Amino acid sequence: MTKLSTQDRPGQLGRSWDRAPHDPGGLPARARIGTFVRRRRLAPYLLLIPALIGVGWLIVWPTIQVGLFSFQNYGILQLAGVAPTRWVGLANFITIFKDQEFWVSLRNSCVFAAVVVPLTLVTGTCVGLLLNRLGPRMSMIVSGSTLLAWATPTVAATVIFYWIFNPDGGVVDWALTRLPTWLGGGAATWAGFNWTSSVLPVYTVATLLLVWQGFPFIAVSVLAGLRTVPAELYEAARVDGAGPWQVFWKITYPLLKPIFLVLLLLSVIWDFGVFPQLYILTGSGANLDEYNLGIYVYQKAFSTPPSYGLGGALALVLTVILLVITVGYVRASIKQGALQ
Amino acid sequence: MNGVVTQFHKAYPAYAKTKVHVVFVPWENRTTDWTTAFSSGKNGPDVTELGNTDTPTVASLGMLANIATDVHKWSPSSNIVKGMLANDTVGSRLYAVPWFGGVRGIWYRKDQFAKAGISSPPTSWTQLVADAKLLMNKSPGTYGIGAPSDYTNGIVSFIWGAGGQVAVDQGGKWVAELNTPQSEAGIKFYADLYLANHVSPKTYIGQTELGAPGATSGGSNEDFALGKLGMYVDGPWAKAEFPKNAVDAANFASFPIPGQSSGQSPAFAGGSDLGVWKLTKYPAASWDLVKTMDSVSNSTSFANSAGFFPPFTTQLTSGAYSSNQLLSGFAKAATVTQISPLNAKNWAIADTTDAVIPTMMKALMQGANFSQTVDQANTELQNILNTGKK
Repeated sequence: MTKLSTQDRPGQLGRSWDRAPHDPGGLPARARIGTFVRRRRLAPYLLLIPALIGVGWLIVWPTIQVGLFSFQNYGILQLAGVAPTRWVGLANFITIFKDQEFWVSLRNSCVFAAVVVPLTLVTGTCVGLLLNRLGPRMSMIVSGSTLLAWATPTVAATVIFYWIFNPDGGVVDWALTRLPTWLGGGAATWAGFNWTSSVLPVYTVATLLLVWQGFPFIAVSVLAGLRTVPAELYEAARVDGAGPWQVFWKITYPLLKPIFLVLLLLSVIWDFGVFPQLYILTGSGANLDEYNLGIYVYQKAFSTPPSYGLGGALALVLTVILLVITVGYVRASIKQGALQ
Repeated sequence: MNGVVTQFHKAYPAYAKTKVHVVFVPWENRTTDWTTAFSSGKNGPDVTELGNTDTPTVASLGMLANIATDVHKWSPSSNIVKGMLANDTVGSRLYAVPWFGGVRGIWYRKDQFAKAGISSPPTSWTQLVADAKLLMNKSPGTYGIGAPSDYTNGIVSFIWGAGGQVAVDQGGKWVAELNTPQSEAGIKFYADLYLANHVSPKTYIGQTELGAPGATSGGSNEDFALGKLGMYVDGPWAKAEFPKNAVDAANFASFPIPGQSSGQSPAFAGGSDLGVWKLTKYPAASWDLVKTMDSVSNSTSFANSAGFFPPFTTQLTSGAYSSNQLLSGFAKAATVTQISPLNAKNWAIADTTDAVIPTMMKALMQGANFSQTVDQANTELQNILNTGKK
């Protein structure tokens, strides 16, 4: 027993495990736990614990806090502990819904997502289909350049677009100025045209940027899906005289529907409250009519003096909007049989 | 700053071994950094520079130490321009001391004015527009005067110049006055620099004087420096932001923003203060450092190097500025100034978070209905100044 207990130190547990049967008092604690875990099939859950702790610490707890903030007057004074935190009921939500800026931001977010998501999906799918048909060398060139767009860090990509569309010497204004008038060019409109000063131009730039950044992921996912479709199906379709359009809608699309669904949902979530790109393009959010919900939340929560309560309430509203969209779409798809 | 630290060590032998660690913070980040430092209680400064419009807000958030007793014992304090010190005062408490002041005026080039046949700077708004057009005629492809829409500190001068007010404090309650006939005349004049008179380019809509919001160079500042803009509203400090290849810099000169029909429009009394951080571990040493930095000679040499004015009456009236080609106009502008309501407790919300005046001006320049837009801005401004919410 003495011998065993010295070997029971951490790091030598393996050996004490081997000698467990010699223990006069029955199985050692460790072995008993092992049996318990095996009988109750707890191993998967135990393996999940570290991840769950991480998720709980980094996501669940902050989410709960944001939820609490949204019903409090939580600001800088409360954070510093100088003034007491008060529960304010629904006051934060009322402030938000009364604020005209919120509705402008919501409109911008909705329209933006409605334009960017389909554009990204269509572009990505087209590139995916193209990649599937290309020979190895061309496929490498196309996928390489596509992935380069994806690999460019968001801030770097946005700053590049910001330069391209800069009114002081940006290449787009330069090129448009030199374009003949009958093509919509000309110095009258485009010399020093300010792309970031009103809603339509700034969202045009943001659309180009987000489609450019977003389509590679769609293309790669679609390509991966296409590789799983048996070639016989296409052969059979061609024998039956189906054109490419019919092949896509009758074979590819139905088979890849689950993939498209996931891509669609992810794109909506990404594009709806997109923050860094618009924040950089609009210049720290000084032009209120160009806000989307992401910038609106940031501005309310963190500009002087910060109002974390208002920010929390807004984050909650944003989450609910996205949940409604997601749940609604998933339900509709299950009904249609796209997901089992 | 190194010289100042040496002086500090010499003047206060007790701190001979005290290290002074100077951290330069980008101006746009200042409020975020204060907030972070104050809320976490860590990495806070001992002494901080504050924009004079920040001081009331930051003080009201409890971030600054009350240094009233120290200031009253400090002899140069009686020499400080009264209004500047008043800005840092709440009741009997004092939260900062003025470090330097700055006013905006209008930059121009002496030789360009001469070439266009303008013998002396304009003294009324009609003349200002007429001169802007003369400059444009003389140099095709350029614009006469820059009117960026995101430029509250410049726009207010035109509101005040027409005899209007942004908002007035009536017995502790703010009453916004953007839609009085006088204020509206000023707002309309500014918007019309682009809309009716076409002396300011469309590019500046949605921009600050330095280009896109958040940018630190570009826009009307760069255009003026490169000779693409005849006149430019800003302070003497703008020189530091001009691009290196600025043309014809020897002819830079300034004049005060003219009054509507005569005289000059009140300039926004900008500037910076020095305050002692509430959570500092060394309040006495911090105040002694402030005294060294803000001594008459140190603040004057710093202000001169950066394009500002020292906050001391004796220095301002000494005549050193009125004989300087570039600074004489600004020095004249500094004689007629106003700060309220830009130092109101909730002004930062009105101007930074909700951008009331920039949003209004941008909408007007983009063709929105005039009285409706101004009325809406007025209501929002009044609500924010009183309650912190629109």
